[in-house]
Amino acid sequence: MLKFIAKRVLWMIPSLVVISFMAFVLIQLPPGDYVTTYIATLAASNEVVDQNTAADLRARFGLDQPMIVQYWKWITGILLRGDFGLSFEWQQPVGDLIWERMALTLVLTFATLLATWGLALPIGIFSAVRKYSIGDYIATFFSFLGLAIPSFLLALVLMYLAAVEWGQEVGGLFSEQYLNAPWSLAKVWDLIGHLWIPVIILAVSGTASLIRVMRANMLDELNKAYVTTARAKGLSEFRLLMKYPVRLALNPFISTIAWLLPNLVSGSIIVAIVLSLPTAGPLLLQSLMSQDMYLAGAFILLICTLTLIGSLISDILLALVDPRIRLE
Amino acid sequence: MNDTRDPFAPRLARRAVLQGIAGAAAMTALPGALRAQAAGKEAPALAKLVGEGKLAALAQRLPEKPMVVTPFEKVGVYGGSLRRGLRGSADHNGILRMVGNQGLVRWNLQFTEPLPNVAERWEVNADSTEFTFFLRKGMKWSDGKPFTADDIVFAVEDCAKNSELYKSVPSPLVIAGKAGTATKVDETTVKFTFASPYALFLDLMATPLGQHPTLFPKHYCGQFHPKYNPAVADLVKQANVSDWGALFRIKCGDIEIPSRWGNPDKPTIDPWVVKEPYTGGATRVTMERNPFFWQVDTEGNQLPYVDRISFSISQDVESLMLDAVSGRLDIQDRHIDTLQNKPTLSQNMKKGGYRLVELIASSSQQCQIYFNITHKDPKMREMLGSKEFRQALSLGMDRKEIIDIVYLGQSEPYQAGPRPGHPWFNEKLGRQYTEFDKAKANAMLDKLGYGKKDAQGMRLRPDGQKVFFSIDVIPTLYPDLVDVLELVKRHWADIGVDMKVNTIERALYYTRGDNNDHDAAVWPGPGGLDPMLDPRDYFAQHPQGSRYAVPWTLWYVSGGKDGQEPPESQKQRMKLFDDARATSDLKKRGEIMKQVFDLAADAFETLGVCLAVNNFGVVKTNLKNVPEKYPNAWTWPNPGPALPQQFYFTT
Repeated sequence: MLKFIAKRVLWMIPSLVVISFMAFVLIQLPPGDYVTTYIATLAASNEVVDQNTAADLRARFGLDQPMIVQYWKWITGILLRGDFGLSFEWQQPVGDLIWERMALTLVLTFATLLATWGLALPIGIFSAVRKYSIGDYIATFFSFLGLAIPSFLLALVLMYLAAVEWGQEVGGLFSEQYLNAPWSLAKVWDLIGHLWIPVIILAVSGTASLIRVMRANMLDELNKAYVTTARAKGLSEFRLLMKYPVRLALNPFISTIAWLLPNLVSGSIIVAIVLSLPTAGPLLLQSLMSQDMYLAGAFILLICTLTLIGSLISDILLALVDPRIRLE
Repeated sequence: MNDTRDPFAPRLARRAVLQGIAGAAAMTALPGALRAQAAGKEAPALAKLVGEGKLAALAQRLPEKPMVVTPFEKVGVYGGSLRRGLRGSADHNGILRMVGNQGLVRWNLQFTEPLPNVAERWEVNADSTEFTFFLRKGMKWSDGKPFTADDIVFAVEDCAKNSELYKSVPSPLVIAGKAGTATKVDETTVKFTFASPYALFLDLMATPLGQHPTLFPKHYCGQFHPKYNPAVADLVKQANVSDWGALFRIKCGDIEIPSRWGNPDKPTIDPWVVKEPYTGGATRVTMERNPFFWQVDTEGNQLPYVDRISFSISQDVESLMLDAVSGRLDIQDRHIDTLQNKPTLSQNMKKGGYRLVELIASSSQQCQIYFNITHKDPKMREMLGSKEFRQALSLGMDRKEIIDIVYLGQSEPYQAGPRPGHPWFNEKLGRQYTEFDKAKANAMLDKLGYGKKDAQGMRLRPDGQKVFFSIDVIPTLYPDLVDVLELVKRHWADIGVDMKVNTIERALYYTRGDNNDHDAAVWPGPGGLDPMLDPRDYFAQHPQGSRYAVPWTLWYVSGGKDGQEPPESQKQRMKLFDDARATSDLKKRGEIMKQVFDLAADAFETLGVCLAVNNFGVVKTNLKNVPEKYPNAWTWPNPGPALPQQFYFTT
């Protein structure tokens, strides 16, 4: 096991080097550079950048140098000094910008995860055990509905209703007065009060698909001989379910942990943008659109690292949960 | 709407007679007229601080002769928090427009002449090479330190002209390739000297790009400058940046970069100062009143009336619309002023408790089509470069249909040039070839040698190729222009000309233009109210703007070193414009510009569709002193010159 982990960790290093280069190339691939995009964005509001200033900016950010030189400057800064550079747009260290957003992103993601799993697992088990009952039909109906509605649309509709019909404020994670206030109990309460809207919107589609997966997995297991055996031995129905079929049906969930970690950063971007959530997703999209090289590069690097770590974790967990899986 | 509240009507009449002397505009600064500000009031919160001894008394905070602002409707009351919206990225100018319009001079409401602002008066010598500005004695930065001639000399000589900070000097300070010099005459007098006549300097100082002289407080920004702080290298190391220039930008900002609003410690002379800064992770920006703001109303009350400004940051422009509709923005036009939004906004006026104000377009043309007459392919160049070809296309366009369908009838056929009603309006430049005459267009095209047609009825060039070109347009930026082009495509197909509407992303649009790779491109044509400030459609002046001949613009900008030599008519206009820029007498300047417009009309380089359509903004019903109509321009950075410091809330 240890040998396996060590090997996987060592493999990550060359993967990351390749990924960092690819990321840098990909971000540069669209025509123009940060300064072009900057001029174009301002032009959208009929604003003009002094031509002398534009040339000046390009030289200042080193955008007039060949790409390989720019990459070398960037990657050596990270490797030798742990310095991810300054964001072109904000003139702030990239590390600070990302971490500032990560805390709330974690809160939102885990709240969504809890809600998704907390709803999906019991409902999935229930609709498998009571197959074709009224309850199963209702669960199935709503889970298909949840799958079919894009979450950003749900967000937009909810926001429109709230704003125009009920005159309520939606969007953001805090009320006006707590926005930049120091943390306090009242602020946490305020956060919880705002959190449920994005959590529901984000959880709807996830819950729907999980219910379907759980139901299908359970149905596969329920008819197996070991279930009958266990029942014959006189185990209570609840214990029986939890101890054997549910445990096996959980395998696919564990495999998805690999996607969970990168999703922390890049998941739910559209919903976060629509709802103006102060999470990492919108910042990532923004940096890609404005070709803010260092910020976008750091984000991509972070997401890739998390994917690698996530798949390692899920491999290890799978081996632990299901003894049938071998690591060789 | 009565006349005094309509800034557009008086400006037309007045501009013709204006000779650069302060007129009786709706809002006029009267320097020196009032010395009785000791009787004036201040905001209750400040009065409390004064009472507690934490702040100097009002009389000590104001300059000896504060700038007196005549409120637009009436003297207001203190208090309230004004809400405005920003977009998540690159929207720093949304703050500048509201707060940061404090140059040496400012525009009047009519956008016709500069008025005293930081400078209480000025003198210009006979040949417009020397400008002497008299500052306000006792004026203070927002931290209470005096604002003097030293600050301006520092900002110009040590910052703007420092090649480690600005690789090339910002262009408003440059004429004929040479930067001007700022010298201190005494504590409150500063003189700008230029090598050649520069009459336009005063106008430019009223625009955002002319704000450098008042941007950098010497006592604060000096600490990041090696000339004044030999130990600046330590600060640079501490901040972990590459050089002092980068540190200076982070701390002191520049005219239009986000970090201008990212440092609450930097003193300014704006009515409100940053409290919660505009940074990468921010969800809100707030600004509080500047206790040392140097303007008062006619009763001597210190401005601003409104206590604070709160800018919410939306990642998505649609959610800004929702905020506007539900009445959670007090004054907003940015990002929501598209024609498609107008019905929704009008519908919800009552519910949201707001009114709509009209923003007068400062542009001339809604949809200027720039054919690349310096095309790289000689055959294309021959076709697009032919004046008769462009004239035929212009005649083959049904402008009325476009205006009715896309702009709901709110415009009129137009080519280019100052807007009708402007004293420099040029009938020929504006309205030639705007009639719809298919027969004549066809005849002209036949005569040009494009008479042969293919099986689809499309015309062929003499070399057998189809008469075809593509027009670049950015759909995310100007969705209406895509609609216009789709209609134009149909009209031109009727006269046998094939065109492709090339919808592309905006960075690609710019790259294609910079590389001279485009057949044609569209963009709104500026220079309708400010022809001197943005003449890109009148001759090849702007490398990113005059897209009909980018190589000629490079020739002009580089003084003949780069690009391609333009034809005689262009060279004449370049020379004439340089002359006009050096002429301070408005009447003489107008005569010179008329020659430019006449030459441009003869050359017929750009092809227009219709006059730029007025925009609109929402203003909450209880926000007063906001004009019902004001210009919409970057050089008149709305609503800044309408003086938000004198807006106030009732109840």
